[in-house]
Amino acid sequence: MSTPAVQYRRRTKLAEAAGRRARLTVAPRPRPSRASRVPFMTLVTLLLIGGVVGLLLFNTSMQQASFAATSLEHQARVLTAQEQTLRMELDTLRDPQRVAETAQRMGMVPATSPAFLDLATGRVLGEPRPATPQDGIRIQPLPTPKPRELSPPPRIIEVAPPTRAERRAQRQADRLAEQRAERRAARRGGGGE
Amino acid sequence: MSNARASAALRLRVGFLVIAIVLSVLGARLVQLQAIDPKSYAVMAATEGTVTVTLPASRGTISDRNGLALAHSVDGLMVVADPTLTDEDAPELATFLSQRLDVDYFGTLQRLRRTDSRFQYIARRVPAAIARDVVAEARELGYAGLSTRDDPVRDYPTGDVAANLLGFMGADGDPLAGLELTFDRTLSGTDGSARYQVGFGNRIPLGESTVVPARHGDDLQLTIDGDLQWFVQRVLRSTVEGARAESGVAIVMDTRTGEILALADHPTFDARAPLEAPKADLGSRAMQDVYEPGSVEKVLTMAALLDAGKVTPQTQIEVPPNIRRSGRTIRDHWQHGDIRLTLAGVLSKSSNVGTILAASELTREELHDYLVRFGLGARTDVGVRGETRGLLPDVANWSQLSHDTIAFGQGLSVNALQMIAAVNAVANDGVRVDPSLVRGVATTDTGTEVGTDTATSTRVISSQAARDTAEMMELVVDPEAGVAPRAQVPGYRVAGKTGTAQRVGADCGCYDGTFTVSFAGFAPADDPRFTVYVVVQNPGTRGGGGSITGPAFAKIMGHLLHRYAVPPTGTPGTDLAHEW
Repeated sequence: MSTPAVQYRRRTKLAEAAGRRARLTVAPRPRPSRASRVPFMTLVTLLLIGGVVGLLLFNTSMQQASFAATSLEHQARVLTAQEQTLRMELDTLRDPQRVAETAQRMGMVPATSPAFLDLATGRVLGEPRPATPQDGIRIQPLPTPKPRELSPPPRIIEVAPPTRAERRAQRQADRLAEQRAERRAARRGGGGE
Repeated sequence: MSNARASAALRLRVGFLVIAIVLSVLGARLVQLQAIDPKSYAVMAATEGTVTVTLPASRGTISDRNGLALAHSVDGLMVVADPTLTDEDAPELATFLSQRLDVDYFGTLQRLRRTDSRFQYIARRVPAAIARDVVAEARELGYAGLSTRDDPVRDYPTGDVAANLLGFMGADGDPLAGLELTFDRTLSGTDGSARYQVGFGNRIPLGESTVVPARHGDDLQLTIDGDLQWFVQRVLRSTVEGARAESGVAIVMDTRTGEILALADHPTFDARAPLEAPKADLGSRAMQDVYEPGSVEKVLTMAALLDAGKVTPQTQIEVPPNIRRSGRTIRDHWQHGDIRLTLAGVLSKSSNVGTILAASELTREELHDYLVRFGLGARTDVGVRGETRGLLPDVANWSQLSHDTIAFGQGLSVNALQMIAAVNAVANDGVRVDPSLVRGVATTDTGTEVGTDTATSTRVISSQAARDTAEMMELVVDPEAGVAPRAQVPGYRVAGKTGTAQRVGADCGCYDGTFTVSFAGFAPADDPRFTVYVVVQNPGTRGGGGSITGPAFAKIMGHLLHRYAVPPTGTPGTDLAHEW
């Protein structure tokens, strides 16, 4: 148990210590910096300018690439189409019907009996025989038949046989015509000599 | 001093007022843009400079076994004109277009002068390179009003070769028939799209851009050999035309693999102009038509008899002139008295009576089972739409008469592909291989997988029975013993069988007096490589399977053996006797 007197003494001791600790002194002034600000400012400015110019160039080149891409894409499309058209032409030329027609015009016929040479035994298998035009096959369709309207059946008109009198009259007329022709021929022959 | 302070305050006030006015104008505009109708402005902003283009998927190519394109797609354009711009120079422009685009001058002139329209087709499905050149040239010459639009071209470079199998495409680019339709999902692919911003025709870099790439269609490779198919079609055409027949079918099959090397139909059509042909000619008769096979079926009966061990090729049969069964008299195709034929002779002379006598060794169930195992009455499922399953009567409904007639090929119906697959089983050492038309595997639009990879093989008859049947079939082309000496291929051993069957008329449901003539065979007989089947419906000239289809068979088989460089086996021909 502390008495009030002891308490008072302790308090004053504390106040004195606080007073000692709180005493302010003048701090020395910091020495002004010798380093110049110019390099830093230059660096920042350069970075800024570099960045802006770089961005600009980058953008321009992207734009350039876009133009090139568009024109190349177009070119690719044109070339693809061209290739396809050429391939189509090639396929048309490769058409077996066309090849066969050309071969036939050149006088070729399919070979019918070739011979085989067995290399192991040296035997000839099959009887070789030259192909003849009869071995060819018809490669063209038959012409379309004409519609019936264009080739009507022949009209047959039956005439009654002539009577005896008519026949006699006809014979006489024939004889007369013959005589007349003979006379004319004789006259013409005489004139020629 | 107080004067100066008052004017400064006034300036300040005026300044504030101006700022307030400007701000309220901007505020009002902001409310107008954002509150009243924000969406339409957003859409306008988006469409400005944004383009969406479709990236068209190209349709797959259909090619033959050697890679020769039978059907392929080409970038195409349509050339269209705006008559309000072309009216002025119409005659000159029409002359130019008719020279360059293969279009009619007068029709084009009329279109260029239309007054009631601003859109006229000039030419459709023009290969892109040609269309672009023509339009650019027209522009250089000073003609305005022409432009192009996408219009894909489906080209069939070989015209009518395999047209009945391939089918064709409609004017609007939809498949209408054949494999084009069956495998449409495989062939067509899916269109893609691209959306991006443009400025002055160029894509803006870093602008908004989305691309969904197109998925191109898959190619389809067939087992068909294009050049061979052409040859078979030409031989078939001259055969059908020469016999003044209604139609014909010729099929070539690789004996060992079951691959269809050629499948010809006549009449056929030009796949580049399908609408010029009658509708009945647009399908494949080889699979869609049924008919009674006639004597070619005797091959299957004989093979079954030999396999069951009931007979041998030299079994002696006494053949009477005719035979009465269930009140009907069945005769042979030639007049004869009692003759003595061996089983081989029955086949080579194609005796119906002899076949009936031999077939009576088999019960109905046995014969039916053999025919089912040969594949009759079931679709071959090679991937052609509308294939018929043929008609093999249910064994419960077989009368004695139907047992007899079925034994020689009447009273049951088949399609040509079924029949060649059945005969091929005899050629292939007794093993039936599923025929296939597609190389590898492909999925039809109905979800069935078809192709050489899915083909299965099953043994139908024993190897010995197959060899014996083939030897008997050799007699058919023998000048003395057989009925079809003209089916012989010089230098080779050929096995075959003729068929002349009565046809069932469409109207009466009875035999109408017309015939189906056919020839099926394979070569070399002792080591078969190819099976060929030729069928001609309703010939207008007299003749049977031997004289009409036999020579066609010989031409096709001869060409095949030379084309694939199959040497003759060099063994002596059969020495089976046909009489006793």
